Formats: sequence, structure tokens, C-alpha cells
Amino acid sequence: MEIYLVEVFDYDLVIVGSGLAGLRAAIEAARIGKGKLRIAIIAKNQLMRPHSISAEGGSAAVLYMDEGDSFDLHAYDTIKGSDYLCDQDVVEFFVRQCPIDILELEHWGIPWARRNDGRIAQRPFGGHSYPRATFAADRTGFYEIHTLYDTLLKYDNVDKFHEQFVYDFLIENNRFRGVVAFDIPTGQIRIFKARAGIVATGGLGRLYGYTTYSHLVTGDGLAIALRRGMKLKDIEFVQFHPTGLVPSGILITEGVRGDGGILRNAKGERFMEKYAPTKKDLAPRDIVSRSMMTEILEGRGFKGPGGLDYLLLDFSPIGAEKIKEKLSQVREIGAHYVGIDPLDSPLPVRPSAHYTMGGIDVTHTGFTGVTGLWAAGETACLSIHGSNRLGANSTSECVVFGKVAGEDSAKWLLTNSNSVDLSEGDKKYAENFLADAYRDKGDYDPYEIKRELWTTMDKDAYVFRNENGLTEGLKIIRGLIEKSGKISISEKGNVYNQNLIASLEMKNLVELAEVVVKGALERKESRGSHFRTDYPTRDDDNYLKHTIARRADGALNISYVPVTLTKWKPEPRVY
Amino acid sequence: MDTITVSVYRHDPSSEKEGRFVDYDVPVEEGMVVLDAMKYIERHIDPSLSLRWNCMAGKCGSCSAEINYKPSLMCKARVDSFKGAKIRVTPMAAFPLIKDLATDVSENWELLKKIPKFTPKEGLEKPWKISQQDIERSKEFKKCIECFLCQDVCHVIREHHSGYFGPRHVVKAASLDMHPLDALNRAEFMNKDAGLGYCNITKCCTEVCPEEIHITDNAIIPEKERAVNLFYDPLAILVRSRRNRSGKK
Repeated sequence: MEIYLVEVFDYDLVIVGSGLAGLRAAIEAARIGKGKLRIAIIAKNQLMRPHSISAEGGSAAVLYMDEGDSFDLHAYDTIKGSDYLCDQDVVEFFVRQCPIDILELEHWGIPWARRNDGRIAQRPFGGHSYPRATFAADRTGFYEIHTLYDTLLKYDNVDKFHEQFVYDFLIENNRFRGVVAFDIPTGQIRIFKARAGIVATGGLGRLYGYTTYSHLVTGDGLAIALRRGMKLKDIEFVQFHPTGLVPSGILITEGVRGDGGILRNAKGERFMEKYAPTKKDLAPRDIVSRSMMTEILEGRGFKGPGGLDYLLLDFSPIGAEKIKEKLSQVREIGAHYVGIDPLDSPLPVRPSAHYTMGGIDVTHTGFTGVTGLWAAGETACLSIHGSNRLGANSTSECVVFGKVAGEDSAKWLLTNSNSVDLSEGDKKYAENFLADAYRDKGDYDPYEIKRELWTTMDKDAYVFRNENGLTEGLKIIRGLIEKSGKISISEKGNVYNQNLIASLEMKNLVELAEVVVKGALERKESRGSHFRTDYPTRDDDNYLKHTIARRADGALNISYVPVTLTKWKPEPRVY
Repeated sequence: MDTITVSVYRHDPSSEKEGRFVDYDVPVEEGMVVLDAMKYIERHIDPSLSLRWNCMAGKCGSCSAEINYKPSLMCKARVDSFKGAKIRVTPMAAFPLIKDLATDVSENWELLKKIPKFTPKEGLEKPWKISQQDIERSKEFKKCIECFLCQDVCHVIREHHSGYFGPRHVVKAASLDMHPLDALNRAEFMNKDAGLGYCNITKCCTEVCPEEIHITDNAIIPEKERAVNLFYDPLAILVRSRRNRSGKK
């Protein structure tokens, strides 16, 4: 091992993460900066390969008011879907912005699917009472990323840094000053000094073993925010997507059910008729996932490998032609990963960890409360998803609030000339942090800790939760946090050291796991994705409020803040 | 449990003069892909192994390598397709090596920047109207996941320093040219600046494309034809430009 001298870059704005939110923020900041702002976008992977490319089904937007859709309807669907934990003022802004940003993507070249008359087509999606998921086959996120990346290339003053592992933010007296990273291909330590930053590193999905998330989604931005004393909001709400492909967990889009596919149990029954008589298979994800797990736990599932018991997703009602046109990728995934062409037989599915409703507590412009620092996308919690996100709302959120964060930060930079300074101490800190990460501190194996974490989360913090499981889970996780400080990594080289990265990611994950489990333990009710078998009903009197988790003096504190209601009063959630 | 031997090319050019093959015995599980074997090696046998991967579902284009001499995505190569024979995994040979299986494909980012961007025609009435058929045509090329396997297999890139951008970039140009509302024609750029003339249509790129894009037939040959018409045949230029105009409405 050899530690290089620290390389320092100087920018006005640094954006961490190149998913939909990060790319959209970069475009907006560049557009508003008109060449006057020096912008860097940096990511852990190559910029055009973020997890957003895995989004399949669509992006929600009200496009056809003349045919019966409306902003109020989209807002109401979202709020009811959230089990009333949304901030309704932000939702009202969001739904009005979606069509503008969806059409903007069209003008940047995205291949949105069409109706016969040539206008944009939309498909039905879970929990939406109007078919408003705008889609590009079953690879919506993929086409969105490539459209945004191409658009970003039009701006010369945005520097792109691929494969940078960010391990801390520089914050002093509540003022953001830049980020500390190393260049994965060389190991070179880099400080991206910047007057402002936008965190868009995605959710915390790899906390779970069985998940639709890509390998690299390890909540890095969230973990740094937690360590830096920032507030994390509603983190206990993790969405389990009903149709993860068994055994890999790969996402099978909700678009399958949107286009007519149905779920069946081992007796061949369309069981969703029982749990959601009106919406059936297109009820919101939390309800479908719970119904599926009830079927499995009551013995009406199929025995799966490694305890992954499953149900079947039947494509036959969709019709061969429509499957070929609109669901080609799903067909390919089925054929390739389980050897089943859904044209011929149903696919084995089970709820898979999919989305983080919570995130860094931010204002409606994505401002984090740390001067000069914004957050956007899944990393941020604007409270438009509450305790359960509706499908097709997240890609829209990333585009809408990525743009807002890019705009707000750029305008702030243009009107505020304050500079930030680095000290020798910052460079020393950056070096020491990494030197410490390489150092052997004990015998624990980072991969083993991660496996233990996955087992615990998949068991105790899954679709159904209870006091005993969560208490036990919390104990195990605290043990893992302690172990995470006593690991050694055997690979000491600087070049493309995945052993080092895996250990840093593991540390981020175990620390975030504590927030999920502690928040879940203290929320003694069932709301949206968080279901407590020991408190099986929603308790608006005591818990119609957001959870705020904050680490201070080594302890994780949980507190609550009110929910903003505008015109929709909480009512029973029936579908 | 059954095991399979995976022979992996290991080389850290920052500290070693030469690379070597290391054999690893990996337990076989049903449905396993070569990437699973690599993950097993990293987590259980040798954590110093370097490779690039992310989505595990054939969508992100990260895990490109050469498996038994064929450019492939590690996440899509089923272990059982090798029927128990030794599996040999090497990095993509057309790109500079970073370490082990991770290569430096960044030259492609620079090439991509040079291709004229999507430029919608002026004065289009909103909302835009496009037929689904036209969407499908451009979508074939937009499917590209930028795994660069086509670049890796291309003998023009491997063996000649001709300035040819390579198949991925012709696909990019085609994806933009095929957009029914795009105002540009990139054929001239592709031939004059991107060296398309060097491609002698051996179709190797089409064979390795994990997205099954008909790179040669649907992207390269049409871009070549359009250029021929543009450069050498005044009558054809006239006809083609009329046809383009009506076809692109």
C-alpha cells in the first residue's frame, strides 16, 4: 500500500451520483449557470451505468386532463398510496411539475411509447386510478438515463469523473466545502473542493440480501450524512417490490400487471381478488407484497431455493403480441435467468427489497440545512412517498427534484460569492481516513459481516415485522457495527481495490441498518410498507408523523415531526 | 457439490510486468452465471480480484470480458452452457488494462462526445406526434447498453489505428439519425470524421451484441449507403434528400 499526495480540484458545484437525479441536476445547474459555474459530476460507477437504468415500468405524469386525469387525482392517489404520510404541499407541487419534465425528456429525444394517433401512450400502474405511467417499453429508466446523459454532453462546463469512491463530505460550522474521494482505477485520493454540493447517491437497497437493487447501491451518501450529524427521515419505510424474480431478486416490472398479468398461488387462485377486491393485482406495492407473504406463510406458495418460497406471475392474460412489444426485456430476463419464457409459463416471484422511501431530511427544494448542500432523488426525503411509494413516481421524482436542486443550487451560487477554503488539515484528514481503512484492526471479514447483515435484514426487517424480531435484529446489527471497526482487508493495493471498497460499503450499510431497525422498532403501528404484526393497524393519533433519526455523541436518537396536510384527511385505505 | 474450474487472467500493470492465469475451483449452483463465479472468488477465495460489475441483469453493460475467447457479458454467460469444461476469462483485449478484468474504456466517452447531438427540426407543433413504428426503429439502436463488446471484437479497432470510431458509435449515430424528428444527417460525419469506410462488414460486432442489435445490417450498412449517395451521386443525393424529408415527417 502506498498513499499518494492528495489531488485537489476546485469547483463551484460538485454533484455526487449520476443517476436520474444527479444527471438532471447537472443539466439544470449548467443551463442556469450559462457557463459561469464550474460543475463536476462524480460517481462510483461509470456515469451512464447507475442503478436508475434498472427502472422499468414508467414515469407518472398527468398528460390527458381532457380524458379524465387530473393533478388532484394524481396527488390523491399518491397520498392515499403513502398511507397519509406524505407532505401534501410538496405532492401538489410534484404532480404539477411531472408533465413539464416528462415532455422535456421527449424534446431531448427519449423514445416514449405512442398511441395510434402518434401522441404519448401511458400504461396503468399500481395504486394509480388513471393509466398515467409514461413509458419506453420496459426500460424506461434506461432510456431516461441515456437521454439525460446525451443532453448533458451538450454542456462544456461540466466535468465528468467516473469511478470515484466518495468517503466523506467536508463540512465545517455547518458549511459544505467539498467531498473527499479516491479514484478507483488508481487509488489516488482526491478532494473536490466546491462551494456547493448535491448528493444523489440513491437508496440503501443492498442492506438486504434479496433485492432488486444493483450491487453498488450501498447508501453511501445517506451514511455520510448520518455520520455528519444530518437528519435522516422516515428511513424505516423500505419498499418491497412484489415481483422480484426468484432466486436472483431481479426486478420484473409492475408493467406486467399493468398490462394485464396476474399473480397466482400454488392452488392456481388469483388471490389478490381476496385482499384488494377493486384494484386486485394493481393495488399499491405494500398491499400486494403483504398479500403475497400471507399466501406464502399460510402455505399456499411454492417451495423455493434457500427458503425463497414463491408465487407465480402469470402473463397469459396479456396476449402474446403485447408481451412481445411492451415486455421484451422481461421475456429476455425470464429466458436467461430462470430458463422460462413468460409467453409459455409463469415466472416465480416474491417480494424483493426495492426502494427507500426515507432519506436525508430536505426542504421542498432539496436543501439539507447544511449551507451549500442539497440532496435529490432517492437519497433525499421530500416526503412525497410517505410510507409507501406508488410505482412510476420515483423516476418522475428524480427528474422533477433533480432539476429543482440543480436550479436552486445554481441560483444560490450565482448570487452568493462566498468562497470556501481547504486547509492542510483537510488533506491530512483525507489521507488518514484512507490509511486507516487499509489498516488491519481485527480478524473480522467484511464479506462475512455483510452476509450476516443480509440474513438479519431479510428476516427481521422484511415485509412483516414485530417487536421480538426487531429487538433481536437491532442487537445483531449493533454487534455488526462493532465488528465493522475490527476488520482487516487482505488486498492492500491501490489499483481497483474492490476489497477496500467492499469494506467501506459494508460499514455504510451496517450503520444505516441500525436506523431502519430502530425506527421500525419505535414505530408501534402499521403504515404503508411498515407492518408490525404486534400493532397491525394504523395509529394516526400517535404516529401520523415523520421519524427523524440523528446521530449525536455516538448515540442514535429518534424524534418525530408533523406531517403537512392540505386538503386530504386521512381515511381508511381500501382498494 | 459439483465444482467448475475457472481460469482467470490476473495482472496488475502498476506492479507486475506480466500477467498470469490463476485457476479457481468454484461450487456450481443452478442457474449460475460466470459473474456469480467471480463474486464467489472475490468473497471466498481471493478478494484481490478486480472486475467491474453492477446490475447483474444484463442491463448496465459493466461486466464485459472475454470468456473462452468470446467477448461476453459475465452476467449473461451461463456456467452450464460450458458443459463442465474449464472456463477461461480474460479482459477485453482492445482496451488498456487497469487490473485483472477491469479495462479502461474511457476513449469511448471522448468519441461519443464528437457525434452530432439530437437536434429536433424547427417549428414542430406540440405535442409531438410520432408513430409507434418510428419509435421502434430508433429504439433498436437506443437499446445499446455500451458494454463495448462490439468495439472489443472489431478487428479494425484491434489491429489497425485507422481512426475508425467503431460499431458502438455507428449505432449511436444511427439511433439519432433514425429519430423521425431529428433534423441532421450524420452519414457525412461518420464517413469523413469517424472512419466508417474502414469497416469491411465482417459482422463480428453483430454476433457478440448482447442486445441483439443488427449492428451491421441496420446501422453500419445504411450509414455507409447514405454516405455513398451523399458523396458520389448527385441524382441519388436529390432523391434521397426528398425521400428523407417525406419519410421523416
